[in-house]
Amino acid sequence: MTSIIQITLKGIFRDRVFQGIMALAVLFLFIPSAASLSMRQVVETSITLSLSLISFILLLLSVFLGATSLWKDMERRYTFSVISLPVSRSSYLLGRFFGLALFLVITAAVLAVAALLAIKFAVLMYPPDRPVLWGALVLALLFATLKYILLVGVALLLSTVSTSFFLPIFGTICAFLASGITQQVYEYVHMPASANAVSPFLKSAATVLYYLLPNLAGFDLNVNAIYGIQPNPNGLMITLGYFLAYTSILLGAAALLFDRREMQ
Amino acid sequence: MYAVEIRGLSKSYKTKKLRTVEALKGLSLDIEQGEVFGFLGPNGAGKSTTIKCLMGLIRPTAGAASILGCDIASPQARRQVGYLPENPAFYDYLSAEEYLRFVGKMFDMSPEDAARRVQEVLNLLELWEPRKRLIRTYSKGMVQRLGLAQVLIHDPEVYILDEPMSGLDPLGRALVKEIILDLKKRRKCVFFSTHITDDVEKVCDRVAVINKGDLLAVDRVENILERGVEGYDVTAASADGQVQELFVHKEELPSFLKQTLDQKLAIEKIEPRRKNMEAFFLELVAR
Repeated sequence: MTSIIQITLKGIFRDRVFQGIMALAVLFLFIPSAASLSMRQVVETSITLSLSLISFILLLLSVFLGATSLWKDMERRYTFSVISLPVSRSSYLLGRFFGLALFLVITAAVLAVAALLAIKFAVLMYPPDRPVLWGALVLALLFATLKYILLVGVALLLSTVSTSFFLPIFGTICAFLASGITQQVYEYVHMPASANAVSPFLKSAATVLYYLLPNLAGFDLNVNAIYGIQPNPNGLMITLGYFLAYTSILLGAAALLFDRREMQ
Repeated sequence: MYAVEIRGLSKSYKTKKLRTVEALKGLSLDIEQGEVFGFLGPNGAGKSTTIKCLMGLIRPTAGAASILGCDIASPQARRQVGYLPENPAFYDYLSAEEYLRFVGKMFDMSPEDAARRVQEVLNLLELWEPRKRLIRTYSKGMVQRLGLAQVLIHDPEVYILDEPMSGLDPLGRALVKEIILDLKKRRKCVFFSTHITDDVEKVCDRVAVINKGDLLAVDRVENILERGVEGYDVTAASADGQVQELFVHKEELPSFLKQTLDQKLAIEKIEPRRKNMEAFFLELVAR
């Protein structure tokens, strides 16, 4: 599997899509000056902009690389030469996943260094009223990375059943958009006040989707990082457990489906 | 133990209009170690379907197969196999050297062994010079030769080649035939599909003909060629030195020879005139 991970990393680093997306990182240079336009809360704005930029870059990478990695292998018939080697399909799929995950971790680490430098610069130029919690900042970046690794799992699962890139790309984008609101929708339909407004069918459908779709709200620690609030350790552990369980289920289902897929 | 053993292998597909297409109908074949076996058939006959089943790329609807005694469902069955897909494609963001090292690793070769073999096979297939170029810059023929290189790298016991001469120029084709003959000398099993009868005639020990998923015939190439003898082209000279060229039917040869003795004709040359593999193939497929 390590060979597949290495090949995956090499493929991404030589991919023009990656190079194009990473060019966005140049925007970090403008964060301190852009944040200074806010006049007050320059540091908070720097943190917000940095986290948002990292999040945006990781989202683009996880959607485009996650959704096209496996699909491209099948579309270009690379799978014929690789799956016919003495490797099981699940090892191949997991190799792809861990390669993409490792790549996201490396990218997030590089971007995190750039972000921390930009924030440090803002702190030196405009000392904030509240001290910056660097640990919370790192945690926010770590959980954002986990969120996008989980999204890669969604993209790979969709790739195993799709013959085109539409389903993996747009399906992953839809899952990402839905994942941010499922918690609110679930809480809304289960409120006593909405008992008359929401039909039982809609309530059941919302409940099914709540459990089926990923819930990524817990991975968002941006508010803690921006306002220097210590995250709740129990909440972090639950999110971590959720990440492990949900990703394992995604990969298990993807391996099962990919194993049954015919390479025509 | 057979190198490749196929028992009642069938494969059917559902089309988009939900019609069932039987691509392979109960194929059974045994291929010995040390044998070069040609799998001949027109386009769409079921050759690639058989090979894809053997390599675990598609699941057979019925039947079983094993390679060196190992069931094809297990990835272990592919450990002693070198497989060349039809119109092969390899990670085009890698160079030939990087790709071959990757294949070597997948077969658990040590880095030293892999490096040595990479050099050997790249030299053999005349890819040493462009070894550091990305595969995406290669011509079709170069990709095909790289396909053969990745087949040879771990020196397996069984070679399964889907249309190995496709996309190659005459020099490349000659090289591939030479490689197959060398593998034969080294008692390796080569199972290759083709629709070019000449390739079979030149390198194969046995041949199977398949059409529309049905196995039509399996025989030794020499038997087919022998059975295909229609008669003999004879060059004979009379006592006064006059040279005659005659065609003698197969069954008339003994009486002809007796006649030449009586007439004191000197036979200078007798050459069998035979149907070639192509005629045999066309006859079978047209039935």
